[in-house]
Amino acid sequence: MPTENPFQDPLRFERRVPECAAVIFGANGDLTRRKLMPALYRLAYDRRLAAGFAVVGISRTPLSDDQFRQKMLEAVKEFSEDTRFDEDVWRAFAASLHYVAGDIGDAALYQRLAQKVAEIESEHQTGGNVLFYLSTQPSQYAPIAAGLGKAGLNRGNGWRRLVVEKPFGHNLASARELSDRLHEVFQESSVYRIDHYLGKETVQNILAFRFGNGIFEPLWNRRYIEHVQITAAESIGVEGRGAYYQEAGALADMIQNHLLQVMATIAMEPSASFRADSVRDERSKLLRSIKPMTPDEIRADTVAGQYGAARIGGQDVPGFRQEEGVDPNSRTDTYAAVTFFVENWRWAGVPFYVRTGKRLPKRVTEIAIQFRPAPLAIFENGTGAAPSDSSPNLLIVRIQPEEGISLKFLSKRPGAGMNLRPVSMDFNYGSSFGERSPSAYETLLLDVIIGDATLYTRQDMVEASWAVVEPIENVWREADFPICGYPAGTWGPTEAGRMLARRGHEWRKP
Amino acid sequence: MATVAPESILKQLAELWVTMGKEGQEESGQGVLRACTMTLVVLAEESEDVSNLGETLAALMPEHPARAIVIRLRGTAERALSERVYAQCWMPFGQRRQICCEQVEIMASDAALADLPSVVLPLAVPDLPLILWCRSARVLARPEFRQLAEMATRVVMDSSGFADTKLAFEWLTGMVSSGLLVGDLAWTRLTRWREMLSQVFENRKNLERLAGPVRVVASDTGPITTRALYFAAWIQNGLESLGAQVRVSIRQAPSPSIELAGDGIAVRLERQGETLVATVDGASQCTNLPLPNDYLLLREELAIVRRDPVFEKTLASAARLAYATE
Repeated sequence: MPTENPFQDPLRFERRVPECAAVIFGANGDLTRRKLMPALYRLAYDRRLAAGFAVVGISRTPLSDDQFRQKMLEAVKEFSEDTRFDEDVWRAFAASLHYVAGDIGDAALYQRLAQKVAEIESEHQTGGNVLFYLSTQPSQYAPIAAGLGKAGLNRGNGWRRLVVEKPFGHNLASARELSDRLHEVFQESSVYRIDHYLGKETVQNILAFRFGNGIFEPLWNRRYIEHVQITAAESIGVEGRGAYYQEAGALADMIQNHLLQVMATIAMEPSASFRADSVRDERSKLLRSIKPMTPDEIRADTVAGQYGAARIGGQDVPGFRQEEGVDPNSRTDTYAAVTFFVENWRWAGVPFYVRTGKRLPKRVTEIAIQFRPAPLAIFENGTGAAPSDSSPNLLIVRIQPEEGISLKFLSKRPGAGMNLRPVSMDFNYGSSFGERSPSAYETLLLDVIIGDATLYTRQDMVEASWAVVEPIENVWREADFPICGYPAGTWGPTEAGRMLARRGHEWRKP
Repeated sequence: MATVAPESILKQLAELWVTMGKEGQEESGQGVLRACTMTLVVLAEESEDVSNLGETLAALMPEHPARAIVIRLRGTAERALSERVYAQCWMPFGQRRQICCEQVEIMASDAALADLPSVVLPLAVPDLPLILWCRSARVLARPEFRQLAEMATRVVMDSSGFADTKLAFEWLTGMVSSGLLVGDLAWTRLTRWREMLSQVFENRKNLERLAGPVRVVASDTGPITTRALYFAAWIQNGLESLGAQVRVSIRQAPSPSIELAGDGIAVRLERQGETLVATVDGASQCTNLPLPNDYLLLREELAIVRRDPVFEKTLASAARLAYATE
């Protein structure tokens, strides 16, 4: 049988998206309503889904197909931020939405699901391809996988893939245990751990920027880079998720997954090709090169913080301990700052300052790469004083809200005399290309349907991240480790500033 | 004799940016952003609908921001050139700053065609690709066109405008064999068709059934069009790589279609209004296929600024087929 289709034209044809059924567990939940359904609708709007694509929503609430469609219609209308609602597109898309009610602990649910999947396979010609998306509590991942396995839904005529959302375990042992239980039913190559940060256009653009251009690579090392700052700031508080958040904290919620993945993308070695495993091998290698800290280093090079009540923009906002569902004595970190070091030849001795927090002054995620100063300051003013401006060269990669890249350098101020001033050269992703960027979920959903795992997290990457983060969590749990307070609406605890000052650096204010 | 000075156009462009920057600051406090990924030179007849072309360029700019140089050709013998400079601006969704691209319009008489390269060359944005889109079949045949084409990274034309398909392929193969990168909108119009056919053969069982003798019939609304020849040649190349013995015929029909008939498989693709109907062994599937306009065709072509091996191979086969088919 011929193995290659001679009628392919990859230069012009869109990536082939196979027919499949997407089974969403937790179909009534927030993630489905806010992210998954608007992303799927947008893909339908752009005609990126195959004609035979179908969705099966699973949840405990009894609903008919039509009631489920109505709920999803409301979700699409409410949460599609930049997509015009089109009645015709919706009508065609809605016809492919189905619903099965049931409890995930009930074996009968999986029998009903198997029957529905078989019906869809025959009606939609899906070839037996099924994507299982677990948009549920993490504690339900293993039971759902087991239920699917018992009903024989993990195999069929086509491929079977399982998508799980973070957190992937709450420490190294639980991450391994979860993985083992998923692997009892699905092979690792069929498990797609979603980290929506990796689906963001600018995070993908880091790869293009680093490995598509020749000019940056020679500078991308300890010789020219003084330090790197990665910031993910949120202006909001826990917004009703206090109960969940106090179990997780900023370190586990953001740094263990999103920010370490971003750091790996910034610092990884070039991969031999753009194949999924080739790229993921390099990311994984970088994560494994991050130096695990000793307890003493953790006390010196990490800061945990918690926001307190404050008045922002004329409005009183509660402190974390006053939020609904939060223990008034909670020691949960709503702010985390960590100095990481990468132990390889490229990065030895270069600090990677990573911080994240809630109730900071604004919502911004960016990476700032600070270069070493010019080796000789020839523009001194002749009095032996410092040059008129000695701002360092900075390369800023903005991930959100306005995706783009800026380079800050010194330029002569117009007029007499050699006075320098910093100028910023900006590349704004959204403006330079007037085209709309797909959302992270659109990108990642399409990738999993196609079977491209490049932007998904592999088990060894999860374990490598936990190996770095877990020792920090253990020390932070000790009663004498300080959880530093900071007023809501500020850039975090003063201790975080001191952490950088010891090495002669300071946090940027993005 | 009227002339244009590239230096003066560049000065006008610089002034345009200063003025727009000031206006943008006053209106929104944000200024304007300048975006550019290429120089797009458009050769069009003066008689063409200028607003249509303007709309096409405006639609292309968000995805392919470019310095557009529109050369409007006057079929007069008087040696004359004149120009005007303006900007295309738009406000992207959710942004506060306008993005603008430059547009230069040059009027040129036939007698002044030879002067165009010396005007276009200094106006091209340095270090970025220059795409030459020739909308006039008449000009393609003129010797001065060659000089312009040699400045371009890629030349895009439409062989549908040629009355003689053999002449069209002769011209195209001549360009390609001299090392120029060429795109033909007659080929671009087939992309969705080819994609649909390719999807049929994603099923390896369908592919297996093409190993023996296969009859291919390409029908188009004209007698023997470049489009029908391209399609037939592309299918022939694919089938021959599978070891099939292929017999091709080209026909005129009320609507375009393609048929493949082999041992145990029959595939037919046919346009019905705005729909493409694919029928495999009697089972039909429809997909939306709006008539491609210039914007959609150019959008695809401007994304390809390198060799297109599938097109070049098909072009060579289509040219052979054109001579074999009477």
